[in-house]
Amino acid sequence: MKILDASKLSNLAETLAGAGYRVVVPVEDGDRVRYAEWTPDATIRTDAFPVNSVKEFLLPRSEVIDRYQLDGDDFTPVEVSPAAPRTVLLAVRPCDAAALAMLDTIFNWDYEDDLYNARRAATTVIPIVCTQADAQCFCTSVGGAPDASAGADALLRPADGGARLILEPLTDKGSALVEAAGAALADGEAAPDAPADVPVRFEPEKVRAWLADNFESDLWDILSYACLGCGACAYACPTCHCFDMQDEATRTESVRLRNWDSCGFALFTKHAGGHNPRPDQAARWRNRVMHKFSYIPERFDLLGCTGCGRCARLCPAGMAMLEACTRIQEEARKAPAHES
Amino acid sequence: MSPDTESAAAPTRRERNIYQPIPMTVADRRDETVDVRTLRLEFPDDAERSRFFEAYRVGQFGIYGVPGEGECVFCVASPPTRTEYIECTFRKAGRVTAALRDREVGQKITFRGPYGNHFPIEQWKGRNLLFVAGGIALPPLRSVIWNILDRRDEFGKVAILYGARTVGDLVYKHELAEWEGREDVDLVQTVDPGGETDDWKGKIGFVPAVLEEVAPKPADTIALVCGPPIMIKFTLPVLAKLGFAAADTYTTLENRMKCGLGKCGRCNVGHLYVCKDGPVFTVEQLKAMPHADM
Amino acid sequence: MDLATLRRDAAALLSDGRARLVIGFRERAGSCVPAFVTDAAGAETLVYDDTCTANLAAYLRKPEIRHRRPVALVARPEVMRSLVLLKAEHQLEADDVVILAVGGDTYHGVLTIEETERLLNETYADLAPDEAVLAEIGRIEAMSPDERARFWSEQFAKCTRCYACRAACPMCYCERCIVEKNVPQWISTAAAGHGNYAWNVIRAFHLAGRCVECGACEAACPQGIPLMLLNTLVAREARDQFDAHPGYDAEAEPVVGSWNKDDDEEFIR
Repeated sequence: MKILDASKLSNLAETLAGAGYRVVVPVEDGDRVRYAEWTPDATIRTDAFPVNSVKEFLLPRSEVIDRYQLDGDDFTPVEVSPAAPRTVLLAVRPCDAAALAMLDTIFNWDYEDDLYNARRAATTVIPIVCTQADAQCFCTSVGGAPDASAGADALLRPADGGARLILEPLTDKGSALVEAAGAALADGEAAPDAPADVPVRFEPEKVRAWLADNFESDLWDILSYACLGCGACAYACPTCHCFDMQDEATRTESVRLRNWDSCGFALFTKHAGGHNPRPDQAARWRNRVMHKFSYIPERFDLLGCTGCGRCARLCPAGMAMLEACTRIQEEARKAPAHES
Repeated sequence: MSPDTESAAAPTRRERNIYQPIPMTVADRRDETVDVRTLRLEFPDDAERSRFFEAYRVGQFGIYGVPGEGECVFCVASPPTRTEYIECTFRKAGRVTAALRDREVGQKITFRGPYGNHFPIEQWKGRNLLFVAGGIALPPLRSVIWNILDRRDEFGKVAILYGARTVGDLVYKHELAEWEGREDVDLVQTVDPGGETDDWKGKIGFVPAVLEEVAPKPADTIALVCGPPIMIKFTLPVLAKLGFAAADTYTTLENRMKCGLGKCGRCNVGHLYVCKDGPVFTVEQLKAMPHADM
Repeated sequence: MDLATLRRDAAALLSDGRARLVIGFRERAGSCVPAFVTDAAGAETLVYDDTCTANLAAYLRKPEIRHRRPVALVARPEVMRSLVLLKAEHQLEADDVVILAVGGDTYHGVLTIEETERLLNETYADLAPDEAVLAEIGRIEAMSPDERARFWSEQFAKCTRCYACRAACPMCYCERCIVEKNVPQWISTAAAGHGNYAWNVIRAFHLAGRCVECGACEAACPQGIPLMLLNTLVAREARDQFDAHPGYDAEAEPVVGSWNKDDDEEFIR
C-alpha cells in the first residue's frame, strides 16, 4: 500500500502543487479550520472539522456567468471563460465528498451546467477517514459513514495510531494522483485506525413518512421559532445549491452574477405581484427540511443531507437539522399510524 | 500555475453555457393597457429561429432580459404555428420589466427558452375547448387560443370567457374584437362591477359568477383557466360544480423563477418544480400539491 | 445566578397568562441556544451563562412571535437596552413584553419595560466596551490609511453575505434591507470586493446611535469577522459627538433622525 507520515501531509500537498494541481486542504485560520488553497506557510489540520464545505471550489460564492459590452442601448456578448484548474480536494471529510452526488445531480438534471461540470471534471476528491466525531455529526443516520468512500477518487486512512496515512486509489483520477504524488508516498504497510463511532440518531424513512402527512402540522412553528432567516446554514451546507442571478453594470459593461442564495431568506420566493408562497419562517424552514428529506429523495433517489452537522455548529440561533429530524421522529412515534 | 483544462476544439461557449441567452430584436411593441405592453421579437438568424421552433410547444415560457438590468420570466404569448417571431406580454412591475418596456423597435433584448412543459394539445384533437382567463393572465391562454384557431379543423367548439377589473385592463383588445367576430368562436367578456364604460357591450360581473351564469357544458371539453390566485380560487369550484373533470382542467402556475432550468431551487411547490414539471398543471395535480406552499 | 427563581417566575408568567411565550436559553451540546417555552413545565429547561450571546430581542421582529404577545424575554443589560430602544423607535408597545432581567450573576426578577429602563439607568448606566476591543481599535486607528484599508479588505473578504449579522441584530428590522433594493442597486450582491466592504460599513452606519454593543452580530458571524471593532467605534463616535446613549430612554429621539442646533459640526470643513 501507499503510505505517508501523517506529519508529511504538507509534503504531499507541495508535491501535488508542483505537479500542477490546485491543492485544497483543511488549514488553520486563527481559531478555526477551513478548506482553502494550500500555500507553503499553511498549517494543515485534519483533527478539526472545517467550518466551510468544499462546495465553493465547484460552485463559487459569486460567479460571472455572462458578460456584455454595453454601448448605449446596444450590447455585445463577451466571452466568459471560467477557469477550471486541475484541483485536488485533499483530506476532506467523507460527508463533504458524499455531498458531491447532490451537486452532480442537480447541475446535470436535464440541462448540463458546463460551468460546474468543467470544474467537477478537473477535480480529484480525496476524503480522509474520520477517527473523531462530535455531537453534531450524523453521517450514519443518512446513509453515510466516517469511512465511506462515496464521491472519493482515493481515500486517506489514518493508521498506526494516527502516525501514518494510507492512500488508497479508487478511480482513475485517484491513480493518476498517486502517480503524480511520486516520492511523497512510500510503499509499505500500516494498520488502519478504527473510524469514529457515530451513533445512528434517526431513520430518514420514518422522517420522510411523517413529512408526507404533516405539511400543516403545528410542529413547524415550534421547530422554526429560533430561526432568524439568515443564510448561514445554506451557505455552509455541502449539498445546498440554491442560487440567485443578478445583473450589475457600469456604463460600458454588464455582468450576470450567480450568487449563493438561501431558501431561508424572506424574499426568496416573493412574487413581483407581492404574493409570497412562504411568508413566514415556519413555511421556509418546512421547505428546507422537506427539500432535503422528502423532495430530493422523491425526485433523485438520494438524500439532500449528508449529516456533516455544520448547520448546527454555526447557526447563531441554535437551529440544527439533526435536532429537527430527531424531533420529527419523536413526533412520528407519538402519532398513531394511519393510512395515507 | 495550474493549467486550464479548456481545449481548443471545444464546442462554442453559446452551445455549452445553458445560462447564455440569445439576442432578439424588438420588431414591434403594442400597448395593451396603461401598464401592460406586448413585444414582438425576432430571432437573430434562421438557425436560432429553427432551433427554437423545433422545440417550442404551446404553454412553455421564456426568460427575457436586458443586460445590466436582469431577466424576467413570461410565457411565450404567441403560438408555435406562427414561426416568424415570438411575443411576450407583461406588466411594468419592477426594474427589469421597466427596462424591457423601454426597449424601442429595432433595439435588442436577451432571450432564453423555451422552458418548461406544455399543454398537451395533440391529445385534445376533436375535443371542445373552454378558456377562462382573468386580466393579465390571458397571455398564456392566448398562445393556446391562436394555436387552436390556426389549426381550427382539428378541434371542436372553442369558447372563451375573459374578464378584467375594468375595460381598460382588458388585454389584446383588437384580438378580442376579432374573436368576437368569428362564428367558430364563442366569446364572453366581462368586467368587474364598476369597471364598465358607458358603451360596454359585454357582461358585468366577476369571472367565477359569470362562468356559473353562462354554465358551459363539460361534455368532451378541456378547460383551461388562468388568472390571479383569487380568481382561480373561486373559478375552480364552479367548474367542478358544472361537471368539468379535474384531470381535464388545466392551469399554469407562475412562481418566482431565476434560472428556469431546475437548478436555482426557488420555484418548487412541494416536490414539483414549476420550471420543469410546470408551468402547466392539471387541477388534479394541483389538488395533490401542498396548498400552503403556493 | 438564581436560576431556580428565574424558572419559577417564567413558569408563573405562562400559567397566569402574563406571557404567552417565554424566550430564554436552553443547553445544547455544551453551550446555550435560544429556547421558546410555551407551557409552564418547559420553564425547567431554562438556563443562563456567558455563552448566551444571542440578543433575544431580535425575535420580536418575527410575526409568529409577535402573535404570541405578551412575550417574556430573558434579557441581559444590552438586551434590555435593545428593548427600550425598540420602544423608542415605535417597534413595540409597553404591553408587548415582559422582561426576566439578568445582569452578570444576578437575576433581577420580572420587570415591565418602564422598570427595565429604571434598572438600566440605576445599575447599568456605565457599560464599558471590552478592554481588548478598545485596545484593538486603538491599534487600527494608529495605522496609516493604506494599512487600515488593507486590514479591513482582508476581513471583509471573508464575508459570504449570509446576513447572519443582520438577522441576529434586533435593530435590523427593515422589511426590505438596503442590500435587497435594486432600483437602484445600492450595494453589489457579489460576495466579494467592494460589495462586501459596502455592506459591512453601511450596516455599521445604519446602526449609528442605535447599536447597544451586545456583540450578537460578531457571535453570529460564521466567518469570524471582528464586527465589534467597527460597531464599537461607531458607537463611540455617536456617543462622543452626539451624546448618543441608545436604550436608556424610551422617549429619546434617534441620533441620525434628529437634529440639535448644538450638535458638534467640527467634521464639516
